[in-house]
Amino acid sequence: MVQINFALREINCKVVYYGPGMSGKTTNLEIVHKKAPEENKGELTSIATDGDRTLFFDFMPLDLGTIAGMRTRFHLYTVPGQVYYNSTRKLVLQGADGIIFIADSDPDKFEENLESMENLRVNLAEHGRDISDVPLVIQYNKRDLPNAIESAELDAKLNLYGAPTFDAVARSGEGVFPSLKSLSALVLENISKVGSKGAQMRNQSGGAAGPVRPVRATDTAPGRPASPRTAPNRNAPARAPAQRRPAAAQRPASNPRPAAPGRTPRTDAATAVAAARPVVKPRQDARPNPKTGASPRSSSARHMVPTARPGVNINRSEHASGGSKIFIALAVILLLAAAGVASYMFLTL
Amino acid sequence: MKDLQLRDARLVFYQEDVARFDRILDELLKASEARTTLVIDRDGHMVTWRGDSPRFDADTVSALIAGSYAATREIARLLGEDEFTHLFQQGTRDNIHLTMVGDRALLAVLFDEKTTLGMVRLYVKEAAQKLEVVFEASRKRQEMGQDAGAPRDYAKQAKNQIDGFFDAIG
Repeated sequence: MVQINFALREINCKVVYYGPGMSGKTTNLEIVHKKAPEENKGELTSIATDGDRTLFFDFMPLDLGTIAGMRTRFHLYTVPGQVYYNSTRKLVLQGADGIIFIADSDPDKFEENLESMENLRVNLAEHGRDISDVPLVIQYNKRDLPNAIESAELDAKLNLYGAPTFDAVARSGEGVFPSLKSLSALVLENISKVGSKGAQMRNQSGGAAGPVRPVRATDTAPGRPASPRTAPNRNAPARAPAQRRPAAAQRPASNPRPAAPGRTPRTDAATAVAAARPVVKPRQDARPNPKTGASPRSSSARHMVPTARPGVNINRSEHASGGSKIFIALAVILLLAAAGVASYMFLTL
Repeated sequence: MKDLQLRDARLVFYQEDVARFDRILDELLKASEARTTLVIDRDGHMVTWRGDSPRFDADTVSALIAGSYAATREIARLLGEDEFTHLFQQGTRDNIHLTMVGDRALLAVLFDEKTTLGMVRLYVKEAAQKLEVVFEASRKRQEMGQDAGAPRDYAKQAKNQIDGFFDAIG
């Protein structure tokens, strides 16, 4: 499902590559990862078997850039194609905002294509969705096979929903981006459709969302932690100085400063209490991550309690004062007792 | 069917929602002395995070956490359990505790030797309940059709952006 996050100024969408086993879903993703600009892509992660077959899914985030002030990000997934893995395929399909179906042009795989498309329809129905309502693009892959089935024939049997289709040779990159571009347009168009006018007004006038900060095209997501692929904010100090904390307290919690290189000292009450401990064991990670060059803590300074330690001290002094009173009372009792004993002895003598 | 459709609809979070999430997460961090907390929606998109900046690609880890939890739920279903409400992954230095928040999100808590699983579990339950209240408010807003869509000129700008992005790749 689309996630629209006005606090982070982000729109996140889920795109799933679907299709029979060995049709080229992972290859599509590998090509996207290989050719997408460095600053727009995250890591390509695969949960695969030893034989390099997708076991659960492949995943990579792709940043399409800032659109109308909202950073728009696609999370690209593939599913395992084999029939055996239907349960995991169904899990990955959950919440998909768009699907690229990769069909195999090999005549021997014709039936598998049909089964996989039917499987897609059934799995979407089990998630309560109608395949004709979901943005869908079909890619006819492996067009370079000498005996490839005619695209028109594939189209007649497979494209029952009027989806845009593309011929491709994913291995060489041909057709990979046109398919993704077409689906991107469908997904983003779908996002724009829903949303009542009142809600739009509410958003734009501040309403529940609060004043919407104007976002420059160059802005990075304000609250997102630095990823290995994200360039660190070079303007930020290597280590946030402690005296800057009060200033940070004025920042809204929902819009923390972007991740800065170096580790920002803890600024909340927990840290203040932790710092009061007699032994503070340094953690191994208390240095900037050499890979990301950034690992700040972005605690809301609103929750910073700089007086936590004095508070503890006040309690301690009250406790000490009570103890003194008891001590004096005991001393007086002892003195009175001693005086009593002395008087008794004097009288008896 | 209606519930399924609602759950599969979009999630919209305003600044005030995320500010409430952040307050709850800050309280959790303070009480449990965990390092980092993340709220992740069921589809693996991160909603917000607090604490030490994760030393990993948060998008990837969020996707993997959501996948891992989805698989665990499926196992629970096959075993006849309603669900496994908590999931704990122990490492030599870092540990992750996962909890379902309602039926639309996950609360992930990363902690190290500074605290214990017991402490984390103790405070996570309360935090998850508080988070669920915010998600429930979001759901009600959605049911009443009060959620905003994308910004007004999003569709128009999206087309230009897509053309520019993909043309640059070639």
